[in-house]
Amino acid sequence: MNFIKRAFLGITRKKGKSLILLAVIFILGNLISGAISIQQATGNVESTIKERLGTAATVDMDYEAWDKMSEEELETFEPEMLDIDLIKQIGDLSYVKYYDYNMTTWVGSESIEPYEDADLGEGFFSGDNMPFRLKGINYAPVIDFEEGKAKLVDGRVFTEEEIDNGASVTVISQKLASENNLEVGDTFTLLNAVYDYPEDSEEEELIGSRDVVLEVIGLFDPQSAKEESDDKNEDSDMFLMEDIEYQNAMYVPNAIVSAEDNFTMEVYAENDPEFAEMMEDESFEYYEPIYYLNKPEDIEAFREEVLPLLPELYTVISASDQYERISGPMESMSKLAKYVLMVAVAATILITGLVVLLFLRDRKRELGIYLSLGEKRSKVIGQILIEVMVVAIVGITLSLFSGNLLAGQVSDTIMKSNDNESEYFEGVYYENLESNLTTEDVLDSYEVELNSSYVLGFYGIGLLTILISTIIPLIYIVRLNPKKILM
Amino acid sequence: MILEAKDLNYYYQDGEQRRYILKDTSVSFEKGKFYTILGQSGSGKTTLLSLLSALDSPHSGEVLFNEEDIKKIGYEKYRRNNIGIIFQSYNLIPTLTAVENVLVPMSITENDIPEDTKTVAYNLLDYIGIVRNKADRLVNKLSGGEQQRVAIARALATNVELILADEPTGNLDEDMEQEIIDIFKKLAHEHGKCVIVVTHSNEIALQSDQAFHLRKGVLSPYE
Repeated sequence: MNFIKRAFLGITRKKGKSLILLAVIFILGNLISGAISIQQATGNVESTIKERLGTAATVDMDYEAWDKMSEEELETFEPEMLDIDLIKQIGDLSYVKYYDYNMTTWVGSESIEPYEDADLGEGFFSGDNMPFRLKGINYAPVIDFEEGKAKLVDGRVFTEEEIDNGASVTVISQKLASENNLEVGDTFTLLNAVYDYPEDSEEEELIGSRDVVLEVIGLFDPQSAKEESDDKNEDSDMFLMEDIEYQNAMYVPNAIVSAEDNFTMEVYAENDPEFAEMMEDESFEYYEPIYYLNKPEDIEAFREEVLPLLPELYTVISASDQYERISGPMESMSKLAKYVLMVAVAATILITGLVVLLFLRDRKRELGIYLSLGEKRSKVIGQILIEVMVVAIVGITLSLFSGNLLAGQVSDTIMKSNDNESEYFEGVYYENLESNLTTEDVLDSYEVELNSSYVLGFYGIGLLTILISTIIPLIYIVRLNPKKILM
Repeated sequence: MILEAKDLNYYYQDGEQRRYILKDTSVSFEKGKFYTILGQSGSGKTTLLSLLSALDSPHSGEVLFNEEDIKKIGYEKYRRNNIGIIFQSYNLIPTLTAVENVLVPMSITENDIPEDTKTVAYNLLDYIGIVRNKADRLVNKLSGGEQQRVAIARALATNVELILADEPTGNLDEDMEQEIIDIFKKLAHEHGKCVIVVTHSNEIALQSDQAFHLRKGVLSPYE
């Protein structure tokens, strides 16, 4: 009849009290369990969505900070360009898996036709003299292919030599190639036409042009745009346009884009002495860096290390920043769950503590008998702890399931009430950072589930709370005087 | 000498005045004898028993068990291994059966007791007059006399030499009172225990081997 056996007999032979304690723990356990379930589910959504948003990050002017500058500040402020050495220095950080920096320009052609989609109708590019986008790259294996944005379906990617030497080679889309009967190894000619827009005329004026001859070394097929356009019927037009734009993009070494930009600027300078004077000694090389990190969680550490290296008013923009924009309902639910958890834990400590104290007062004589028989106070305390904790384990186990179900129902209701809130994005569009994920995707990926981390978290918090609420009234036992109770 | 009280003083502080319950009380007890301490209500006899059983401590003086100060033994340990206590209101655990009540001190004591504690407990109860079917009942289903027998069996369960009882027959009728006193006499004379009973009954005092009278905090032989 040691204290452990006495504890179990105490539970089974005082069924009424055990059931009352069980009911209290079960009810409060449901609150704790529900709050933990919601917190875990919102946490999972954040990591899932951030995983889907990817690990891409870039460095750019902080336009929000720019907008906040006063007129005086703007007058004296001279923004710096990002130089390649800094881009490379950031790219060498341990968080970066690979990186690239790109220049982009638009060109036309008299020998090839742009790809158009039948769903959008003919003449999508009518009047557009420059439907082809030359996307300059420095990372020879092409980062978009590595990241699954597009797939190389024929030919090869660039060599380091081609990138370094600015070779006239390109990787184009398979659809553009088949539209123009081009194959790997073929060459085609683009036209870099420079137009002026005189103030006194509505017509644009061609002021210079030159041919850009490129050899096709590979063909790609866009992946992400295709998948997403299948999914999103309501936004299909927008996705189709994105797809068409990508089909007409051509990957080339940065040096090709740089050369064409320089040509354009030279033509402008020749035609406009004022412009020539203004642009003297100015560089026309403007690179957009893109970094892919090892893990989505690395972004904050990456940001911390990069910010001190940047020129004034520059900042780090990451793909996961988009989460903050689309996670409204999730954030409010997470906050609500946090408050419910805090209140539930406090209520459990208070209510269970009072119930245990009342039961202890009721059992004062029994406890006095154990002490009069020479039982150690630690074992008397142990007996009570076992009694409460065994009931608590049963109550917590029951509320583990019911609280989880409850959390599912409650969060469904909360999300439905928040679902109508739409977010309008006002800001800068970053090609490599933007995903088509919406608030709806965030809500779709929300799932209250019974996983091991929830089970462990709930048992941990639940049992610790009950332990604290039992230890406080146990001070009562420590102060018991058997003589006063029994004689 | 199994137990000896030396110059015990116990008082209540009433403002600046001390109200003595026991004043320089000294007494000794031997094994194999049945003692009674007689006194009126409020005479301090229960206080004396609480000091002898280490449920309380004196303001001065000492209690020696086998010539060792019980303070040095440790009050808790002394209660656990050296004495059995019987109370007027039985003080059994109502959610346990009679035999389970007897088993409780067996799991607490550090004394050598046979491994088959349940058999020992049943035998003890049988010896005291509680048959097997009653031994398996919850104690609150037993009569007052039966409950006090269970309390005596519990006091004997740890195989101690010293039994202390506070008004053990106070809640019992005369027939039952005599049966309990007979058990105490048997324990002292046949089993060599030292039995000390606090009572207000002259009849019981007259049956003891030695009786003391406690009046105004002073203990004297009862004649």
